[in-house]
Amino acid sequence: MRRPAATIAVSGDGDRLALAGVLAVSTLGEARRSLKTLSKAGASRSLDIAGLDDLDTPGALWLCSLRDNGVELTGVRPQHQSLLDLICRLDLKPLPKVAPVPRWRQLVVDLGAGCHDTRHGLVELITFVGRAASWTVSALIHPAELRPAAISRHIAETGIQALPIIGVMAVMIAVVIGYQGVAQLRPYGGEDLTINLVAVSVLREMAVLITAIMVAGRSGSAFTAEIGVMQTREEVDALKVMGIEPMQVLVVPRLIALVITLPLLAAFADIMGLIGGAAIAQVLLQVSPSQYLTRLPHVVSGGDLFVGLFKAPIFAFFIAVIGCMHGLRVGGSAESVGRETTLAVVKSIFVVLALDALFSVLFERLGI
Amino acid sequence: MSGRAKAMSEPILSARGIVNRFGAQLVHDQLNLDILPGEIVGIAGGSGAGKSVLLKTLTGLHRPDAGDVVLNGKSVQSLGAAEKASLIGVLFQQGALFSSLSVAQNIMLPMREHTTLPANEREQLAAMKLALTGLPADDGIKFPGALSGGMVKRAAFARALALDPQILFLDEPTSDLDPIAASGIDSLIRQLNETLGVTVVIVTHDLTTLFTICGRIAVLVDRKLTVDTADELMKSTHPWIHEFFHGPRAEGAMEARRTSHGN
Repeated sequence: MRRPAATIAVSGDGDRLALAGVLAVSTLGEARRSLKTLSKAGASRSLDIAGLDDLDTPGALWLCSLRDNGVELTGVRPQHQSLLDLICRLDLKPLPKVAPVPRWRQLVVDLGAGCHDTRHGLVELITFVGRAASWTVSALIHPAELRPAAISRHIAETGIQALPIIGVMAVMIAVVIGYQGVAQLRPYGGEDLTINLVAVSVLREMAVLITAIMVAGRSGSAFTAEIGVMQTREEVDALKVMGIEPMQVLVVPRLIALVITLPLLAAFADIMGLIGGAAIAQVLLQVSPSQYLTRLPHVVSGGDLFVGLFKAPIFAFFIAVIGCMHGLRVGGSAESVGRETTLAVVKSIFVVLALDALFSVLFERLGI
Repeated sequence: MSGRAKAMSEPILSARGIVNRFGAQLVHDQLNLDILPGEIVGIAGGSGAGKSVLLKTLTGLHRPDAGDVVLNGKSVQSLGAAEKASLIGVLFQQGALFSSLSVAQNIMLPMREHTTLPANEREQLAAMKLALTGLPADDGIKFPGALSGGMVKRAAFARALALDPQILFLDEPTSDLDPIAASGIDSLIRQLNETLGVTVVIVTHDLTTLFTICGRIAVLVDRKLTVDTADELMKSTHPWIHEFFHGPRAEGAMEARRTSHGN
C-alpha cells in the first residue's frame, strides 16, 4: 500500500547500485537525481531492486528505460517482474506533434473559412426560408395538416409566459427615453415634447424591437435547444422513418405560433410603454394621466402604430425560421446544441436589427 | 504491486450501513460491502435498482443519508483532493472525456494537477497509458469526438489509470460495445488487475463480464446487497437472483466462464 510519505533510497558505489523503498510517481524525481549523483559519468552497470517495496507504472517505465540503456536489473521480485514485463513489452512511440500553423497563415485560413461559412449560411438560410414558407402555406391551404395542440402549446410558451418580462421591459424603456428626452429638451424649453418623443419612439420602434429581441433570446433559443436535443436523441430521424415530415410537425407549428404571438406581445409592449410614458409625464412634467390621455391622439397617429406592428410578424417569421433551422442543424453531439443555440440567437437578433434598419429607410421613403 | 495487495488482508474499501433515499423512496437499506485489495468485484442489479447511486456513494460523489464508506482506512468524504485522485480512478459510463482536450491532454490533466512531473515526462507517461490500454500513440492527438465507442472506453480507461490508482471503479465498461471490443475490455481489466494489482469494482449488466472476470458478485436486489461468488449465488433461492443467474442469457455466459476458467 502506498504510504503518504513514500521514500526512495539509492545506495552503493558507482558500479553497483541498489534501490530501496517506494518507486512511484511521487518519488521518481528523487530517485533519478540520486542515481545520477551516485553513478558518475553513467558508469553503473547493475541496479539491485530487491529492496523495492512498491513500484508503479511510471517507476516501471523508468526502470525499463534504464534497462534499455544497458543497466542490468537484479533481484527483481516476482510481482515486480510481471509489471516490468508488461511495461517493457509495450511498443512505446512518442505522441505525434501537431505542427503549429503560422499566425499569418491562420489568419488567411480563418478569413477564407469565414467567407465560405457566410456564403454557405446565407444559401442555407434562403433555402430554409423557402421550405418553411412552402410548408406553412401548404398547412394553411390544407388545415388538416395544422396541429392546433402544438400551436396552442407554443403560443402559451412563447406568448403568455413572456408577458411579465416584456411588460416590465417596455415600461423601463419608456422611462429611459423619457429621462433622456427631458434632459436634452429642457435647455430649449421643449421638455413638453418628451411626451411626443416617448409615445412615437415606443410605438414605431422601441416596443416591437425590445419584444423581438426578447423573443429571440427567449423563444428562438428554446426552439433551437428543443429541436437540437430531439436531433441528438435521433427523435427527428424517428419522425422521418415514420413518414412524418419534421418541417410539418416541428417547424410549422412554432412558426405559426410565433407569428401570432409576437404582434400581440408588441401590442402589449405598446400599451405598457405608453403607461410608462404616462408615469414619466406625471413625475417629470406634472402632466396628469387624464391630460396625457387627451394629448395622446394629437401626438401619435395610426401610422405610427401600423409601422410598429407591421414589422412584428416579419420579425417573428425570421426568429422562428432561424431558431428551427439551427435546431435541425445540430449534429450528433450534445455540445453542438449549445453552439447552434448561440448562433441562432446572434443571427436572429442581427436579422431583426438589419430588417428594422431597412424598414426605417423604406417607411421614410414612403412617407409613412 | 500485486504483492502489496496480497500482503494486506484489511479491506481496501469498506461500506457500512449505507442508506440512500430519494424523497419517500428508500433505495438502499443498510448496505454493507467489504472489498479486499486486488479483488475484482462486480455489482449487478436490475435497471433502476440503484447501482449508479451506489457507485456514486462508494466514490464519494454522493453523500449517503446514513452510513459511511471507508477507503484505505479513511472516510471517503474526508479524503483530500490529491489523495483521492491517487487512490481511486473512475471510468464513467459515457467515458466523460473532456471534449475540449485531446485524448493525451485528458490523460495528462490529473498528472498536471497532482504531480510535479515536467511536460515531456507527462507526455511519455500518457503514451505509456495509451499503450497499456491498447490505443496507438497516434490516437493521443485525436479529440474525443473523433473516437469510436470502444476507443472512448479505452481512452477513459487510460485517464482513470493516470495516477496509478489503487481502486478502479468501472461503470458499465462494456455497454454499447460490440462483443469483440467488450471481450477486449474484459481481458484488459483482468490484465491490469493481475499486473498492477489494482482493485476493481465493476457495475455492469454484462453477464459475461460478471462470470468471467469477477471474483465476487454483489447483487443489489430489494434495497439490499447479497455478496458472494458466482457459484454460490447460482444456488440462491431468491427469485430475482435465481432468474438472473439461470435465465436464458446466463447460460451462454456460464459457458464462457467454464471456458475461461478451464484455460
